[in-house]
Amino acid sequence: MAEIVLDQTPPVLRGPTEKEKKYDRQLRLWAASGQAALESANILLVNSGAGTVGVETLKNLVLPGIGKFVIADDTVVKKADLGVNFFLDESCLGRPRSECCTRLLLELNPEVQGDWYPKNEEKLDLHHVLDSSGSFTLIMYTNPTLPDDLATIEAYASQHQTPVVCIHSAGFYSYFRFSLHGTFPIVDTHPEVEKTTDLRLLQPWPELSEFAKRMVEGIDTLEDHEHGHLPYLVILLHFLDQWRQSHDGKNPTTPKEKKEFGKLVLGGSRTNNPEGGEENFQEAINAINKNIKVPELEPGLEEVFNHQDSSEAERQSSFWIIARAIHLFYQEHGCLPLPGSLPDMKAQSSVYVKLQGLYKAKARKDAQEVLETVRESAGGEHVNPTEVDLFCKNARFVKLINTSPKGLDLGQIFDAERANDEAAEAMKIETGGAFSLPLSNFFIYMALKATAYNPTATADEIMSTITQLVPQAAGYERMGQIAQEVARAGGGELHNISALTGGMVAQEVIKIITKQYIPIDDTCIFDGISSRCQATRPEFFLRIRV
Amino acid sequence: MALDRDSFNRQSLGPSLNASVKQAQVLMVGAGGIGCELLKNLVLSGFGEIHIVDLDTIDLSNLNRQFLFRYEHIKKPKAEIAKEAAQRFNPNVNIVAYHANIKDAQFNLEWFKTFRLVFNALDNLEARRHVNRMCLAADVPLIESGTTGFNGQVQVIKKGVTACYDCTAKEIPKSFPVCTIRSTPSQPIHCIVWGKGYLLNEIFGASEDQAVLDTSENSDNAKEIAELKKESEALRKIRESVGTDQFPQLLFDKVFNKDIMRLLTMEEMWKSRRPPEPLQYDLVLRQAMEASASKEAIIQDGQKVWTLEENLVVFNDSLTRLSKRMLDLKKQHGDDSPQATISFDKDDEDTLDFVAASANIRSHVFGIERKSRFDIKQMADLSRATLNDLVEDFVKLQLGFGERDFAVNSDAGLLYDPDETDNLGKLLSELGINQNSFVTIVDEEEEDTFINVVLNIQSSSAESTGKPIKGLEPDKALEIPRKPKKEPIVEFNGDRSLTRQREPDLETPPNDLKRPREDDSDMLVVRKKKTKIATDDGVVVIEGDDPSNGVITIDDD
Repeated sequence: MAEIVLDQTPPVLRGPTEKEKKYDRQLRLWAASGQAALESANILLVNSGAGTVGVETLKNLVLPGIGKFVIADDTVVKKADLGVNFFLDESCLGRPRSECCTRLLLELNPEVQGDWYPKNEEKLDLHHVLDSSGSFTLIMYTNPTLPDDLATIEAYASQHQTPVVCIHSAGFYSYFRFSLHGTFPIVDTHPEVEKTTDLRLLQPWPELSEFAKRMVEGIDTLEDHEHGHLPYLVILLHFLDQWRQSHDGKNPTTPKEKKEFGKLVLGGSRTNNPEGGEENFQEAINAINKNIKVPELEPGLEEVFNHQDSSEAERQSSFWIIARAIHLFYQEHGCLPLPGSLPDMKAQSSVYVKLQGLYKAKARKDAQEVLETVRESAGGEHVNPTEVDLFCKNARFVKLINTSPKGLDLGQIFDAERANDEAAEAMKIETGGAFSLPLSNFFIYMALKATAYNPTATADEIMSTITQLVPQAAGYERMGQIAQEVARAGGGELHNISALTGGMVAQEVIKIITKQYIPIDDTCIFDGISSRCQATRPEFFLRIRV
Repeated sequence: MALDRDSFNRQSLGPSLNASVKQAQVLMVGAGGIGCELLKNLVLSGFGEIHIVDLDTIDLSNLNRQFLFRYEHIKKPKAEIAKEAAQRFNPNVNIVAYHANIKDAQFNLEWFKTFRLVFNALDNLEARRHVNRMCLAADVPLIESGTTGFNGQVQVIKKGVTACYDCTAKEIPKSFPVCTIRSTPSQPIHCIVWGKGYLLNEIFGASEDQAVLDTSENSDNAKEIAELKKESEALRKIRESVGTDQFPQLLFDKVFNKDIMRLLTMEEMWKSRRPPEPLQYDLVLRQAMEASASKEAIIQDGQKVWTLEENLVVFNDSLTRLSKRMLDLKKQHGDDSPQATISFDKDDEDTLDFVAASANIRSHVFGIERKSRFDIKQMADLSRATLNDLVEDFVKLQLGFGERDFAVNSDAGLLYDPDETDNLGKLLSELGINQNSFVTIVDEEEEDTFINVVLNIQSSSAESTGKPIKGLEPDKALEIPRKPKKEPIVEFNGDRSLTRQREPDLETPPNDLKRPREDDSDMLVVRKKKTKIATDDGVVVIEGDDPSNGVITIDDD
């Protein structure tokens, strides 16, 4: 705990703390803000069955330092558990699995707290667990489940808007599925850095135009050194002006025009030097395609702008208040708030610093304007300005998850997926095996789901559960084979399959807790026989046909 | 039913596969992030005997993912702690740990052959390539893995069935040259390049031999590069004392003491390396009293690997000889004349002695094997050839690649392709290509594609005239076989919807697969022992089993 105390002392010119050193690698991925979110998370695992996949998931959350976890599991440790669960040793035999796993998991990271239920040989009472452990950030449960427990979890989750993930691993197969409540917006999606540059060349603000104009005054009489150090964005602004004068005030937009424009820029480069050209002009030409285009909304942001609030609570959330303010900004200015970052370019240092200042100042001004709109709207007075700043910086790439309602017709999906399999099969035959397309993992999901309450179901029992939902499944041979494979596992887990699945679940849980990166929406199915993973919404199977 | 420890494994794997897993002896190289997870999975899958090799010790920043290690294990060997931790969770498994470098001689071909499977859980290109080659040679399947940030990859490598690790071009680590030569040498050649390219040049040469110092923009190294520049400047000042009695001591204490002391203050640098041990001129000289007496005999014996003391004797003697020549040159041409310089020539004994002695003393400081002057002569001379010589002169003309697009790869990764021409001016030795190195030429043409050609580089004792690189039989025309034509196989491995949705964090374009080729899996592995090509002091040579066709035999099985 020493490092936590240390952390509270004011950070005056200190090196990295012990904690920063320990978490160094992950802080590079999700920064201090993500780490803070993790450290305040409280996670419930309702464990059952062979019990490995849930504990493996927790391991991958304890290591990066979640705040707290609770395991609810009424199983007593048997010999078979030792062979599949790493967080149990010989001394655990005959003792509660929840307690033993909790103790060994806690060894991994002294900064994490853990608790377990049931205590003192009582019967497991999920209501009691949910009521007495503070509010949960996220709930994980593993199949097989009891229908009553599932109902209890779902009721709690719906009341508290808690994300839930269902995990199922049996033999070589596994899947996990997230249930979020309402749309789940992500601001900090971590797009590729190159994509985030916005120089606003087609809509320069007055200060930028002014600055650029002053730099190119008498451009032909500039000394070679200065000419060779004009920042490329200044060069482009200058030649865009020229272009518009000879093209009815229009910008170059078509590929052909851009090519012409490139020639115009190249013509401005001095070639009577030893290099036979100028690097900054080359940079300018290279930047044309990316930077001279009419800004288009990314589909993710467009979805946000077109979104209809589904509830008053959603309306009042800071995300939507800021989103509406940014939409207004966009409608008014025809562009998004400026992110404010400036890529590296050939320029004199003093000039580059000035340009950087211009972009930063403009970004602050835009964010301020958005903040003012936010403040004027209902509920906007409580919104944190740093949240507005973050949103403005990332506006172009915000993303909504879990937008469409669940519950399409399973029969339709089944037919579509089967057709997909048959097309893949046909292609294989047609090309003599040279081309192969992946078979759908949907049928694995169906078969595992059919054993959600009965892990040792026979293949016939699995098929009968499935055909109750989808009668035509009876006629599909591959469905039958998969049912047999699931029956063969008999509810047993393979450690490596569960470890892999646990790793993937933890990864997605971290994204949801930190609200960074884009999490899976919403199901991931793994086939350990062909080592293939498929992520999708089961309802969307129709949409992903090749 | 009564369930025992491996009941779940038996259930899913079936009795016979489960039994064969239990009997299998496997090797895991690396016990870091992937290694910890993998060892846990291997132990619980019930593999009968697991050998672990790792050179590293545990660091605080490992603890957030290398879950077999605790705070109290910091600075202890990873391999041994991983064994202790994992053993507890399956007493039936026999785990053998080696705190050692996988490239050590004890891990020879015979040893590799004892494993059913090898797993690479490494963090560096060099070791990966080594294990890849050993597994191909031993014909043991290798499972190769790696991660960066949110990306990861696994590759199965089986001789004659799949592509191997080196079949795909890998990005060359940018920070290689300056820091290896100047700060963190690990092989004799690094010290030889230092002695020849840096020390000799700074003292007697045209001074700024920046060719050896690749100061390419690399922010990680920026600080170290700035320090190194200061070091060079300080060395140039010592140059003014050439010819004085104090000169050898001034020079020695500067480069083998002061500069080494500074390096030692960079703690980060020595976490995973053996720190250098600075030397003191006075002390070594005192120990060298005896050796001094037989100076002539030492200098004449170029085959012997000199001791530290013997090297000091040669260092001093060669310095005296060179200093005298330098003073004469200055008298003749004037102090600042470009003619008042001495540069390396392997047949100039004074320069060779100086380079050999200073390289060996540096090797001693860094705990690197010392070499005889005879070996150093060859190694130093090899570095006369540049990558450009190899590409233009040898591959294009002599191998007949002509106008084809092709890539040249070495241990360190991609050296050259039509878009990567920065290295062309560099000496082969700077690029880590030395005696016995392998270089792979990958034809990038779509049609009528040459198979990959693996060149083995040898230094030659032939007269250094003509071209710096030659084939063994330069007069014979070479015929390189073509790759068989095949329909490309389109294999979607993974999630269809993901590729469509373009979620940036889940796509898997691993960074080190710079140019995946659709026909990777069909590449032929050229068996090296049958393909011997040598670069020499003049000479690159190709030598086939069958002298009549002059060349390259391919093992295509």
